[in-house]
Amino acid sequence: MVGHVSRDRRQGGVSGNRAIVTGAARGLGEAVASRLVADGWHVALVDVVDEVETTAAALAATAPDATVVGIVADVSRENDVERAVTQAADVLGGLDALVNNAGIGGSDTPVVDTSLDAFHRVLDVNLVGSFLVARAVATVLLAQGSGGAIVNLGSILGQRGEAGSAAYSASKAGVTLLTQALALELGPHAIRVNTVAPGNMATEMHWEYVRDLAAQMDVGFDEARDHVRSGIPLGRHGTGDDIAGTVAWLLSDDASYVTGQTIGVNGGVVLS
Amino acid sequence: MSGAFESRRALVSGGAGGIGLATARLLAERGARVAILDRDPAISRDAAATIEGVAVVADVRDAEQVAAAVAQAARDLGGPIEVCVNAAGIYRIASLLELGPEEWDEVLAINLRGSWLVAREAVRGLVAAGVRGGAIVNISSTAGLIADASEPGAHYNASKAGVIALTKQMAAEWAPHGVRANAVCPGVIETSMLRLMDDPVAGQTYLDHQVPLGRLGQPEEVAAVIVFLASDEASYVTGVAVPVDGGVTSI
Repeated sequence: MVGHVSRDRRQGGVSGNRAIVTGAARGLGEAVASRLVADGWHVALVDVVDEVETTAAALAATAPDATVVGIVADVSRENDVERAVTQAADVLGGLDALVNNAGIGGSDTPVVDTSLDAFHRVLDVNLVGSFLVARAVATVLLAQGSGGAIVNLGSILGQRGEAGSAAYSASKAGVTLLTQALALELGPHAIRVNTVAPGNMATEMHWEYVRDLAAQMDVGFDEARDHVRSGIPLGRHGTGDDIAGTVAWLLSDDASYVTGQTIGVNGGVVLS
Repeated sequence: MSGAFESRRALVSGGAGGIGLATARLLAERGARVAILDRDPAISRDAAATIEGVAVVADVRDAEQVAAAVAQAARDLGGPIEVCVNAAGIYRIASLLELGPEEWDEVLAINLRGSWLVAREAVRGLVAAGVRGGAIVNISSTAGLIADASEPGAHYNASKAGVIALTKQMAAEWAPHGVRANAVCPGVIETSMLRLMDDPVAGQTYLDHQVPLGRLGQPEEVAAVIVFLASDEASYVTGVAVPVDGGVTSI
C-alpha cells in the first residue's frame, strides 16, 4: 500500500512513479525493483552484469502496464552512469526516485594485508558510484522541479566498524554522510534523501562472509551461520522483502517529513 | 503492507490529540481496532468516538491505573494489545537554573516512566496470552538527540533521550517474544505543543535556516512513520529511533 498512498499529498513526497534501482540484477536490488513494480512504479534496473536485462524482462512480464527496462552500466564509471541515467530518464519519461543499491562486499581482509587497488575498488563502487548516480539523478530532478526521493543503501558496518571490513565500513559510513549532505542540498527542492542500513541479510554477499567466518572459526557453514544468527535479537537473517518494505516506505509520502536519516533494518543488532 | 492492520488490536496513549490522535486515526483507517488511552474520561471518550474506537482512562504515571486500563482495552478489543503507541507526553520550557524539582519529576514520570508502564502492560498481556509478535512505538523527540539553548527544557530532553534508551532495551529484551520496539523523534510539528511559532518571525527564520525541508511537519506525517514502524513492512526493523524532522538533525 505504501507505494500507492496519494503521492502528491504534500510537498516533500514523490509526485510521480518513475525510479532507477542500481545493482538490480539480483539480491536486494532485485527485491526492491520487484516491490516497486508491484506497487505500480515504472523502473529502470541498472547493473554491471548483463543478467539485469533478463531480470528486467521477467519483471516486465509481471506488470503489462509498467515500463520496466534493464540497463547495463558500471556505477563506478562516470560515462556509464551519465549514459544510463539519460537512457532511464528517456525511457521512463522523467525520474522521481533513485535507489542507490549497487555495491560490492570486498573480501574479509585485515588492513595490513589490503592492497591499495582492493581498497580503491570498494570505495569506487560503493561510495563514488553512489555519488555519481546521485549526482546524475539529482541533476534530472532539479531540472524537472517536481521534487523526488533518493534512498542510498548503507550498512550496519557503516554504523559500526568490524575487523576485516575497513574498506567496506569506510565506504558505507561515507554513504551515510553523502546522504546527509545531499539531504541538506536538495531539501529546499523537496527532494528527500535517506539511507537504509541493512544488517545481516540472506544474500550471496553475506553468505560469502559466513564462509570466511566458518574458515576462521574452523567450523562448518551451518554452524557459522547459526553463530551469526544467535547475535540477531529477532533471531533470523533479513530478506530482500524486509529491505524493500523500508525502501518503499521512504519513497512514499508516508515519509514526507523524513530526510537525511539512516534507518537500520537489522533485526536489532545495533542496540548500542 | 502498512495498509494491512486488518483487525489488529492497537492502543495509543495520549491518543486524544496531536500526534497521538493522528496515529490512532491512521491505524483505524488501515484496519486496526484502536483503544485510546487518556487521563481525562470525557476527552478519551470523545476522541475514541471520532474513530469508532474504544476509550480507556489512566494517568500513565500510575502503575495500577495503567494495568487496569490496558487490561480493559484488551477486553474491549477482544484480545491482547498487538500495537502499542506511547504518545502520552508533556512539554515544559525552563532553564536549568530555574527549573524546579517537582516539574523535573513530573516530566520524567509522564514521558519516560509512563512509556515504560504502558508498554510493559501491553507486552505482559501478549506473553500471558501466548501471542508471539507485537510492535511498540515510542514517541521520543529531536530534543532527545540535540540541545537547544533558545528553548531550554533539560527535563524534557532527558526524558526523550531516556525514551530512546528505553526503546533499545525493549527491543533487546522483547525480541525473543517477537516484539519489535522502535521510536520516532519528531522535530517541529504543528500541534498545540509547538512553541516555535509563538514568535512568527523568529519561527520562520528557524524554518528557513534550520529545517532543510523549510517547513513545519504535520502530525499526520509523524503518524505515517509510526504506522510504518508498527506494520509488517518494518518486520526486520527494531531498536531504531527515526527522526521525523524535515532534516533538522542532519545539520
